[in-house]
Amino acid sequence: MSAAAGRGWFGNAGTIARRELRGGLAGFRIFLLCLALGVAAIAAVGSVRVSITDGLAREGRILLGGDAEVEFGYRRADPGERAYLEGLGTVSEVVDFRSMVATGQGAEADRALTQVKAVDGLYPLTGEIELDPPMPIAEALADDGAILHPVLADRLALEPGDAIFLGTKRLTLRALVTREPDAGGASFGLGPRTIVATEALEGSGLIAEGSLFDTDYRIAMPDATDDDLDRLREATRAEFAEAGTRWRDRRNASPAVQRFVERIGSFLVLVGLAGLAVGGVGVSAAVRAYLDRKTEVIATLKTLGAEGRTIFAAYMMQIGVLALAGIAGGLILGTIIPLVAGPLIQSLLPVPVALGVHPLPLLEAAIYGALTALIFTLWPLARTEQVRAASLFRDATGSVRVWPRRRYLVTLAVAVAALIGLSAWLSGIPTLALWSAGGIVAALAALVLAAIGVRALARRLARTRLARGRPALRLALGAVGGPGGDATAVVLSLGLGLTVLAAVGQIDANMRAAIDRDLPAVAPSYFFIDIQPDQLPGFLETVEGDPAVSRVDTAPMLGAVVKSIGGRPAAEFDHWVTRGDRRISFADAPGSGTRIVAGEFWPEGYDGPPQISFAREEAEELGIALGDEVTVNVLGRDITGTVTSFREVDFSSGGIGFVIVFDAAALRGAPHTWLSTVYADPEAEARLLRAVAGDAPNITAIRVRDAIDLVTEALSALAAATSWGAGATLLTGFVVLVGAAAAGERGRIFEAAVLKTIGATRPTILASFALRSALLGAAAGIVAIAGGALAGWGIMRFVMEAPYAFEWVSATAIVLGGAVATLLAGLLFAWRPLATRPARVLRAQE
Amino acid sequence: MSLSLAGNAGVVDILHDITLEVAAKDTLGLVGPSGSGKSSLLMLMGGLERATSGEVEALGHDLTTMDEDALARFRRSHMGVVFQSFHLIPTMTALENVATPLELAGQAGAFDRAAAELDAVGLGHRTGHYPAQMSGGEQQRVALARAAAPRPDILLADEPTGNLDQATGEAIMDLLFGLRDRHGATLVLVTHSPRLADRCDRVVRLVDGRLDTDSRRAAEAAE
Repeated sequence: MSAAAGRGWFGNAGTIARRELRGGLAGFRIFLLCLALGVAAIAAVGSVRVSITDGLAREGRILLGGDAEVEFGYRRADPGERAYLEGLGTVSEVVDFRSMVATGQGAEADRALTQVKAVDGLYPLTGEIELDPPMPIAEALADDGAILHPVLADRLALEPGDAIFLGTKRLTLRALVTREPDAGGASFGLGPRTIVATEALEGSGLIAEGSLFDTDYRIAMPDATDDDLDRLREATRAEFAEAGTRWRDRRNASPAVQRFVERIGSFLVLVGLAGLAVGGVGVSAAVRAYLDRKTEVIATLKTLGAEGRTIFAAYMMQIGVLALAGIAGGLILGTIIPLVAGPLIQSLLPVPVALGVHPLPLLEAAIYGALTALIFTLWPLARTEQVRAASLFRDATGSVRVWPRRRYLVTLAVAVAALIGLSAWLSGIPTLALWSAGGIVAALAALVLAAIGVRALARRLARTRLARGRPALRLALGAVGGPGGDATAVVLSLGLGLTVLAAVGQIDANMRAAIDRDLPAVAPSYFFIDIQPDQLPGFLETVEGDPAVSRVDTAPMLGAVVKSIGGRPAAEFDHWVTRGDRRISFADAPGSGTRIVAGEFWPEGYDGPPQISFAREEAEELGIALGDEVTVNVLGRDITGTVTSFREVDFSSGGIGFVIVFDAAALRGAPHTWLSTVYADPEAEARLLRAVAGDAPNITAIRVRDAIDLVTEALSALAAATSWGAGATLLTGFVVLVGAAAAGERGRIFEAAVLKTIGATRPTILASFALRSALLGAAAGIVAIAGGALAGWGIMRFVMEAPYAFEWVSATAIVLGGAVATLLAGLLFAWRPLATRPARVLRAQE
Repeated sequence: MSLSLAGNAGVVDILHDITLEVAAKDTLGLVGPSGSGKSSLLMLMGGLERATSGEVEALGHDLTTMDEDALARFRRSHMGVVFQSFHLIPTMTALENVATPLELAGQAGAFDRAAAELDAVGLGHRTGHYPAQMSGGEQQRVALARAAAPRPDILLADEPTGNLDQATGEAIMDLLFGLRDRHGATLVLVTHSPRLADRCDRVVRLVDGRLDTDSRRAAEAAE
């Protein structure tokens, strides 16, 4: 038996592959670049995500301010509870609340919203606080001292040594905080930080019964293992079952930041997958072009006796080696980018980042890359089996246009399912992942259809009077619509990138419109909180007496924690209503704007067992039915009520809206404060604030415009992150485009030579090249806008639940951008066709 | 006139001191072994290649002083070129291929004339087909129609039957000479075939880039 026979078909395939690869990688630059860019984007996003979550985990103890924290809502621990906590380790108490810091007292003082942290002598239990000027924190807080965030000091033009007021309490500003170790654990708040000693707040009138404050007990247990923490968590939950407390430990120090980072990261990976799909188009085009060039070789090999599977395996191996090279390049790039951009990333985040090489996100990116490469190359590869030896003797350039065998189609389907399933599983946001995958597949299908449509339209137009006598236009239409054109590759590559960008543009513009235009028209000027019951008449007199005030709404408010719903513990529900503290209210009668949509609101003066009116939409999401019991904990006491009605609550109006409203008799006796929304002319806002704060310095005013700005800012950051992701997709699209233009260069050189021979001048030829590029780019742009608008509508309607309006500015920019990008890519490869002498080209083809 | 081209192996002298005058309405056959410079000479005559030295004059115009665009405009008014490999534009139908030079010349009714021209070469029924959908002989007929459509003063043909079987080749030559006769154009034909050369009024033989022999057809010579 000969050596070759002994090797078998697979060995022969390997030999052929090795020999073919000796021919070099010419024509595979785009293939490698497309794959590398897509993999790099996903690897980089994944690495940064893991860097942040690792950083959060590593620094969890410092971010949390202890190994564990037990939070009491709206009260401090009683002596018994405190004793229990001290049994666990060293305990430090931090009281956290929102208030106003003022430069003086009375109506003339300047005021700003602040998040106050009142600390004991042990703060910070973990980590170091840095002050400017440098001094120990004990010195800064001694004798009614205070520390402010530099932003706050700037806003009020304060310097160390100046007097400040919190409520009625006069304090002295001693230092500015330049590094607050446990700041990352706090949610991104409206007010910059003020730090004072807890005892300094005595007499401020700020921490009264019913006020909205949290008390956090940080516990240092340096020797506690994770198992210990699990055990202690359960024990503490059992101990404080009735107290309405929440446990956090160093392993989830910043759940809000972590959740935000995970979501953004997952979302960007999905955008990255769109980029990889765009790259896949380029990969597929490169493989097709390569195999078209190899038709003669394949036919020759068949003539020499190579079986279909040998040929398939030989080329699969070659493409496989190249794919591995592309993926490896992408992984290297995806590892380097976060390391290089590390300082920038760190400066943008309020939390530590553990930048480094993280194998898991790299593995994830590699798998995505490999599956994408398989999906986009299998089809052309499978067709190598069907190249007939006879093509040597007939038209060797005519490629085979038949369906691949069933086993390849099945493999393809499995690979697509694996990619989609994997992205749904690994992203942690399966619904969005599936929708995105569906969106990408639908967009690709729409783009293929669009390409077919554009080509058919171009063929039609080329034969109409419009094109007659305009040779440049007809040449362009002929090139778009005729056989062998690059229309499909261009529309696909550019179209998908532009679709992502268009969707981002539509969503961003609609979100901004919803916030900027719709909300302020109906939103109040101020939320006033912490109004003590005895201050309410005076407050109402002040605001209602102001002629600029058009409307005042008030409602009692209590801090509560939802304990159980319909007998199931709240922890079983993954919903914002059951997460953390919940402000609830009580009422004797439905307010004037209340709309009851099911059940009946209790009658005025009702004094029976507690009843609850629940917000309709949230009730539906939580699966609450009329008659269900809901238990909340108010200041350590459980109160159970029966849901007897559902109300329509529109949170987007900016007015008062509570998910849970009890009957008045159930909660009237509980310590509570009042919330008021005041609608006033914008120019009266400052005067109103001074009037209210001058009378009652403990009342906190939240300017709605500031809150909106904060949301807008967060949205801008989100839009920016998404735009970067879409930008990466577009960059890949442009690479594919350049690849398509480069691949088409030979064709255009030939075409230009023939055209020159039959009398076309260079301006005519250039105009024709430019026209065809612009036509294809505009076509891709138009499909992108349709796709983007559809995605934008879907997101606004079903995710944001806000109205959608088509946004023209970004849409127009995208069509123009698409045309310009294709034009640039086309013109980049136009000079050679224009410069080459016809004889050289035409002789070479003889 | 001379022609040298730079290649990978250095500068190659293709044509050496050629002096050749072709009378209007004459038919000239350029013959010679492979690599003798026949096609290069034809390309120079068509302004598709630029002479290294000397002058190329056509219809009283010095082609060597014209830029690329002026040459293109000159060709569309006065020249038709046919190649061995047809060189049709693959993204255009037969009709569009033939109409393009007419459109480029700004002629009215380009499509009607193109259709008539295709009819004349027997392809009136295939106007909507793309080159890839046609046989070699059909493609060459389209190329002929394209070259003849603008009624050129000069027809240049570079081995137009080189890629065709003998019968098809004969048919193409009949068409070529028929077109020439109908329009009264000057025809320069590069060919390997002595039979085709024999159909020309005059035959010039090139060897190693130099003029070797220049003979008139016997009948004419006798006149």
